[in-house]
Amino acid sequence: MKRLGRVAGTFAVAALALLATSCSSSSNLTPDRLQPSLGRAFANLYALQQSEMGNPRVTSAALKARASCEKGGTLDVAQQGSGVWLCQITYLVAGPGYPVIAKYNVDLQTDGCYAADGDGPASVNGSPTITGPGYRQVINPLSLIDGCFDTT
Amino acid sequence: MSLAAEPWPAYAGATSARTGGVAGALAVWRVELVKLSGKIVIRAIIALSVIGPFLVVGFLHLQSATPGDTPFGQWVHASGFAIPMTILGFGGQWILPALTGVVAGDIYSADDHLGTWKTILTRSRGRAELFAGKFLAAATFAVTALLVLTVTDLLAGLAAGRSPVVGLSGQLVPAGHATWLVAASYLSDLPPLLGFTALAVLLSVASRNSVVGIGGTVVIGVLFQIVTLANLPQWGQQALLSTPFMSWHGFWGAPAFYGPFLWSLLTCAAWFAACSAAAWLIFRRRTIEAAA
Repeated sequence: MKRLGRVAGTFAVAALALLATSCSSSSNLTPDRLQPSLGRAFANLYALQQSEMGNPRVTSAALKARASCEKGGTLDVAQQGSGVWLCQITYLVAGPGYPVIAKYNVDLQTDGCYAADGDGPASVNGSPTITGPGYRQVINPLSLIDGCFDTT
Repeated sequence: MSLAAEPWPAYAGATSARTGGVAGALAVWRVELVKLSGKIVIRAIIALSVIGPFLVVGFLHLQSATPGDTPFGQWVHASGFAIPMTILGFGGQWILPALTGVVAGDIYSADDHLGTWKTILTRSRGRAELFAGKFLAAATFAVTALLVLTVTDLLAGLAAGRSPVVGLSGQLVPAGHATWLVAASYLSDLPPLLGFTALAVLLSVASRNSVVGIGGTVVIGVLFQIVTLANLPQWGQQALLSTPFMSWHGFWGAPAFYGPFLWSLLTCAAWFAACSAAAWLIFRRRTIEAAA
């Protein structure tokens, strides 16, 4: 009986020690983690959008999509944590000289998952549906982007 | 016609003459399972687990709106694989604790309520055997219910459509891989489910009251969910017993990441050990009085 208590105690102390060592940084919800995740998701979904619309095939790597995010719109707010982030994604569809920018309002949750709501240009992410070949209406993959990144 | 004329059920047969620790616990386990399988609530839960997912699919089929504020929600009409994942993402955090709470939160305190501790403790089973057997029965129910839900939700999704589904990095996941990911995601909720089972057992033993045992488990689950909304430091987030219900998110990334899942194993093991040890310590030292 006492032994069981001791085992449980040891276990609890070990768990606490492990937790304490991981305590160093306060939040892992940072631009460093959000931006690559959103950029990758955007590139994959852009390729999907083009194929759904029956346009020539695009590879997601060729877009070189890069996201740049700010929390609360200004740098006065601490740039970490859950809440609304404003992100701009720069990508290349017509050669390196012509970058295109897409905007997103990103609702980031504490578990590292986010819902990025398209905020222009309207032709890219403004409409919830797009028209495929034969006037078929399908979900616009770029209108709302659900994604997650590793917070550990 | 007397009871003695009937054949004895297997659990009341020859094994009960032996008082081995493990054999005794298994005897208690079998008795508890028989008791559980006779309860109308338990039968209703299992029946609902079987038909519920198909009702959800049917309901989604009838209307065009999508549950937008959860991952996979917008794809429920595009791919059947999105349906089990939406159910898990939306409901996993509170359905699963409630599910195990109904049994584990009641399995000890029911004997307080009925005043039957004295009766069963004067039979040939010791406290350790009773504690272990009841715990095992509660865990068996939790595991069974999750396995049933895994199969039925997956089947309901497959019935709704097998198109590739968009993962959580925007990648298209083909049907074969998606099937495995759905199953893995559901099974990754097993550790926190067992953690909540131990928590419910602790509440049931400590309070000797099924309302606290069942309701308390549900309330604590909801409280954890509310706490996660705050910007806790990372270790605080990981230490909560509700966070592991979401560790499957990483499975759907490209590249997939397993950090949250490994953390969840540690968190759940700690909660499970702490709660079941505390429950046993309380149960062991308890004075059992005559029925009130």
